[in-house]
Amino acid sequence: MLILTRRPGERVVIGDEILVTVMSVSGHTVRLGISAPAGVPIYREEIWLAVKEENRAAAAAAADAIPARPPAGRAQPPAAPGSARGEESAGAPAEEPAAAEPAKPPKAS
Amino acid sequence: MPVTFQSIRFGTVEIEPADVLEFPFGLIGLGGLRYTLLDRNPGTGFLWLHEIDNPALALPVVSPYQFFADFELEIAPEDQERTGIADLAGTQLYVTVRATPNPLDITANLRAPLLIRDGRGYQVLNIHEDAQLQAPLFTLPAAAKIAS
Repeated sequence: MLILTRRPGERVVIGDEILVTVMSVSGHTVRLGISAPAGVPIYREEIWLAVKEENRAAAAAAADAIPARPPAGRAQPPAAPGSARGEESAGAPAEEPAAAEPAKPPKAS
Repeated sequence: MPVTFQSIRFGTVEIEPADVLEFPFGLIGLGGLRYTLLDRNPGTGFLWLHEIDNPALALPVVSPYQFFADFELEIAPEDQERTGIADLAGTQLYVTVRATPNPLDITANLRAPLLIRDGRGYQVLNIHEDAQLQAPLFTLPAAAKIAS
């Protein structure tokens, strides 16, 4: 790892198009200004790591990991775009004790 | 001419060229430049975002609006500039899903949704304060919780 010492107002140049400016230093906090081409994604590391982990966890799903039908008793199974609704949606008993529902069901339209 | 690719989950898959989605920046931490959406679980609301050039890379996705009535999207300014997408007009929106055997443990990532417009896809950051990284897709009704 390359380690550089910079003062506020000084910059680091990465390649020909990325400029990192030390805006200010206060205690343990450093404010950085980053100038990069629009096509270069820039993330705070903790966000990048968290999203990467979620993506990897999602990509670990097996083909049969999707519920074959919505959890019992769910009021309205969401319809996949362009697809027919399954036959499982209408007959679920409303009094099913273990019934699950969408986390935040859409409002009736 | 149809596009054919291999999937470890679904075998040989054939799609129309118009269904190929270019992801110029890939997915965060996963990469991939060409994906497509497969409807292999009709009626459930789940689709698979499948990388065309990687037989093993596929993620379940859902439309957040079908599960989260109050879902709100606030695209980070740098993502608006990077993608050229500042509003959702003409844009499909999906979120990735952690699929688990127990449906009550399934979560959706509302912090990093996928925007698809004009054959291109982008994973962006949703900076809305209510956007959860692991939002439960299903919950037990209050009555069931009390009874249990």
